[in-house]
Amino acid sequence: MTRKQRRLVMIGGAGAVLAVALGLVLVAMRDTIVFFRAPSEIAAQGVDPGVRFRLGGLVEDGSIRHAGDQVVLFRVTDGGATVDVRYRGHLPDLFREGQGVVTEGALDGAGLFVADTVLARHDENYMPREVADALKQQGLWQHGGDAPPTQ
Amino acid sequence: MAIWIILAAMTAAAVMSALWPLSRARTAALGTAGEGLFYRDQIEEIDRELARGLFSPAEAAAAKAEAARRLIRAESRRETAGPSLDEPALRRRRAASAVALSAVPLLALAIYGAYGSPHEPAQPLAARLVQERDLADMDISEAVARIESHLQQNPADGRGWEVLAPVYMRQGRFDAAANAYAQAIRHLGEEPNRLANYGEALVNASEGVVQAAAREAFEAAVATDPLQPKARYYLGRAAEQDGDPEAALRRYEALLRDSPSDAPWISVVRARIDALGAASQPASPALGIDAIEGMVAQLAGRLAEGGGSAEDWARLVRSYMVLDRAEQAAGALAEARRALANDPAGLAEVEETARHAGVGGESGQ
Amino acid sequence: MLIEAGHFALALALGLSLVQFAVPLWGARTNDPVLMSVGGPVSVAVFLLVAFSFGVLTHAYMVSDFSVLNVYANSHSAKPMIYKITGVWGNHEGSMLLWILILALFGAMVGVARNSVPPKLRANTIAVQGAVTIAFLLFLLMTSNPFERLTPAPFEGQDLNPVLQDLGLAIHPPLLYIGYVGFSITFAFAMAALIEGKIDAVWARAVRPWTLAAWLFLTLGISMGSYWAYYELGWGGWWFWDPVENASLLPWILGTALIHSTVVMEKREALKVWTILLAILTFSLSLMGTFLVRSGVLTSVHAFAVDPDRGLFILVILVFFIGGSLALFAWRAPLLRQGGVFAPVSREGALVMNNLFLATACATVLIGTLYPLALEAVTGAKISVGAPFFNATFIPLMIPLLILVPFGQVLAWKRGDLAGVAQRLAAAALIAAFVTVLIYGFTYGGPVAAPLGVGLGVYLILGAFNEVVTRSWSPGVSLSVAARKARGLPRSTWGTVMAHAGVGLTVIGIAATAWSTERIVSMRLGDVADVGGGYEARLDSVAPRTGPNYIEDVARMTLFSGGREVGFVESAKRFYPVRAMPTTEAGIRTFGLSQVYVSVGEEQPDGSLGMRLYYKPLILLIWLGTVVMAIGAGISMTDRRFRVGAPVRSRNAPPTAAPAPAE
Repeated sequence: MTRKQRRLVMIGGAGAVLAVALGLVLVAMRDTIVFFRAPSEIAAQGVDPGVRFRLGGLVEDGSIRHAGDQVVLFRVTDGGATVDVRYRGHLPDLFREGQGVVTEGALDGAGLFVADTVLARHDENYMPREVADALKQQGLWQHGGDAPPTQ
Repeated sequence: MAIWIILAAMTAAAVMSALWPLSRARTAALGTAGEGLFYRDQIEEIDRELARGLFSPAEAAAAKAEAARRLIRAESRRETAGPSLDEPALRRRRAASAVALSAVPLLALAIYGAYGSPHEPAQPLAARLVQERDLADMDISEAVARIESHLQQNPADGRGWEVLAPVYMRQGRFDAAANAYAQAIRHLGEEPNRLANYGEALVNASEGVVQAAAREAFEAAVATDPLQPKARYYLGRAAEQDGDPEAALRRYEALLRDSPSDAPWISVVRARIDALGAASQPASPALGIDAIEGMVAQLAGRLAEGGGSAEDWARLVRSYMVLDRAEQAAGALAEARRALANDPAGLAEVEETARHAGVGGESGQ
Repeated sequence: MLIEAGHFALALALGLSLVQFAVPLWGARTNDPVLMSVGGPVSVAVFLLVAFSFGVLTHAYMVSDFSVLNVYANSHSAKPMIYKITGVWGNHEGSMLLWILILALFGAMVGVARNSVPPKLRANTIAVQGAVTIAFLLFLLMTSNPFERLTPAPFEGQDLNPVLQDLGLAIHPPLLYIGYVGFSITFAFAMAALIEGKIDAVWARAVRPWTLAAWLFLTLGISMGSYWAYYELGWGGWWFWDPVENASLLPWILGTALIHSTVVMEKREALKVWTILLAILTFSLSLMGTFLVRSGVLTSVHAFAVDPDRGLFILVILVFFIGGSLALFAWRAPLLRQGGVFAPVSREGALVMNNLFLATACATVLIGTLYPLALEAVTGAKISVGAPFFNATFIPLMIPLLILVPFGQVLAWKRGDLAGVAQRLAAAALIAAFVTVLIYGFTYGGPVAAPLGVGLGVYLILGAFNEVVTRSWSPGVSLSVAARKARGLPRSTWGTVMAHAGVGLTVIGIAATAWSTERIVSMRLGDVADVGGGYEARLDSVAPRTGPNYIEDVARMTLFSGGREVGFVESAKRFYPVRAMPTTEAGIRTFGLSQVYVSVGEEQPDGSLGMRLYYKPLILLIWLGTVVMAIGAGISMTDRRFRVGAPVRSRNAPPTAAPAPAE
């Protein structure tokens, strides 16, 4: 092999790996990324059933119901609109009424959000950033990082 | 003062670490000896790798020649390097020493001066707690800390927990209070007041919601002492929160009935009753006669002791008439005339009320 | 007084770092050995000052001195002593002090190391390390001073986030930091080489042990962090592709590439420019990780300091060092003499492939981590890039790399014989294929990826040891001779073998997670539930218990296998009153390399208790593999060639056992 051929082989190999990687990234970007939506966005724009997305907001006061067999029903609100959520499984330790929550799943035909993930918070003062932004838009966010007064 | 001596000593030691190498005339073996060694070692290594089949013989020869060339280059460079004691070198050393001597202390002092608190003593908690101090000098948090540290040593001292709990309540640390009451109950036993206080702490901790644990505590308290007022009140709250205002009202009214007229909780309970009444139906029919009598007796007591406004007197007079106690109404009116001697306008108001209610008419006859 | 002395020590360290930066640099420029020799003692003094300061802060935590704001905000007198101590770095200020301590430690170690680092390189390296130390000391003193005082001193502290109150925390951040910050020294070496304009095989050998050390600790740190998340967060997951996890994974990937490229540079004087760039980028990613975590740009459990001012300060440091080093690189790199182009089928060719795959994989993880931030900044749309993205990009890039690993071990330098190598690896590949088919047969109907993954892991392990076998044994050689020969192989060869075998173990562990089971059940006392993997669990009791600073309800379960009692697990719902914070403590029982994992949930309306039961076959291999990798790095560090050139040469290599490096 001449020097030139060697160089070509090396560059070709590198180019091939990079092209494959780029292809993987683009495909994955299309298929695996989920958007974050707040309840009022869903009310305004609508989301097709079956499309996965992340829903964030506050757990509405008095909305948590345990339906048995570890199924939990609750409503997520951002002040502008609410979405009913159904989830089966364990809730994070800091899942409480009036607190911020992020869930992932999809709407069913009847407008019920079937979640397979409810994201845990690890800290009392932690509010998921997306939720905080959504609440700010609805004017529900008070200075100081506390959950809005709900009574 | 001592702090500055220590800081000065530290500075001196730090500066010395820079001055010491600068003061040495000769430094340890420097130069590029390491590089020569490296290439010698690399040549030996190529032989060994050849033996293990990591090189073909021809490649090994080429690689060795390359390493040897580098070795020669490194060795030739070595001649030129070496410590020199010429004038510029000495000037450089003096300059470096001056930088070390000036920049280090100045920068350290400037930064420390801006952010440090040199006169602040260290205050380890244990040492602070063994200091003998008058209770009068202590603020509440110090007292709490002392009790807490005592309890850490003697966690089974229920009395200590019981002393601490109301302090936590006042500080708004309801979780700590609940925990303290729980410890007190554990070590001193269940007792209606203690249980009720525990429950109250739990309710406050959960922002006014009577949850299962709190309700159990109240029920246990009432089971031993059916008259325990705090437990009865919160059981009423629990009924309210369960969406059963009638049961809540029954509980509140029973509590009022059993309470002495001057009990401090009367007004709170009445406020709940009023709130429920406003929510569901007029409160008065549901209000038992006993309760009203209690209210009136309380008002009379207060007026007799410390006097009150014309409005209060008027209300007392009217209340006696509603209760069909004309004599007492007349007595109250007489007292009001005495008490409000200096307040003709107020007295006129009371007289007016009395006339409407029929008191003045009787006395006028 | 002690506390103020600790505070002053930091200020003094700042002043002395200036000397550490300026004087050796000047000495290297003027070729003055005396000025250059200042770097050693001064770097040691800076380390001692920072260590003293760290000791003082630790002492303040141990004695609960609440006149120090940092202690007040992050400790509590009722905390167990071990958590008082770990609390020192469980918060922003303390962890930054730890960061600087490690920075100074690496500087001091280069200052006193007795190996073959040429003096100019050493002086410049110490100077650059001094510059990094200056930046972070300024950051600490000006925006996050751990010695800020509080008057009057309160009598009680504000506790520590209970999630962080765990032994995993005691070990995970310091290890991670030693790794993260350890790459600062390879960065300093790279900058020193650019400043001096001399980059050669000597440089590669000088930097190699430091790269290995940093990589070793970063490996252990990431592994510990993963295990901590696994048992503390109670979800049974061990890697979440959380941006903060990625921030530690990125320098690890590039650090791995750096370890391999320095071998090429040392042996073949090739890949010089690329290696320098890798060294710069690796530390840049460490800095970026710090920025992302500390600034609160990524909000998560780790962002205990959500403070824009600090974020801005770190951003300035970041821009200065990354921008400055890349500018210096762009200016100096064209002046470097390029090494020759080499044959694609050769040891160096295989190592280039390694670098290519690792750098590409690193780029995909970086894209996945930063893309949501960029998209939100540009369009305002909020998206989440989670595990599916990384599984779809990172894993396909890793598989060909892992298949190539044993080839790289066997190929010769300069020109390799691919057919011969394939022949040597045939046995390993065949056995791995056989294992795959066998497992597939036994688990027919189960996930297909799992047997394939296990096969890949087996192939990696056999391929790693294949090198030992082929180098020490051939038909006709007696076993005792072969064993002696194997013992005589250089430490770096053994290090490679161990590290690659460790990768194989981890791959098996990861593949086996496809067989793990999860059961969500509601149980009453006495109920028996199937866990999976042949285990059953019976709920025996739920009882309250009081801990030192928490109360908990403990669910105790007895485990059965084939009807026989094999042990018990306890999972608890804890409540920390001071922070009013509940946590879930998972119960884990280990059987061999597999685990039964139990996590207690809420009480159901019908009075039963929600439970999550997992069976995790071979899960321990994931972390065991990383430990083996770290051991490999440790063995490699003790290779005799790193001792060559020390002023006193201890012994000559024994003539029979011919040691030679091979990566």
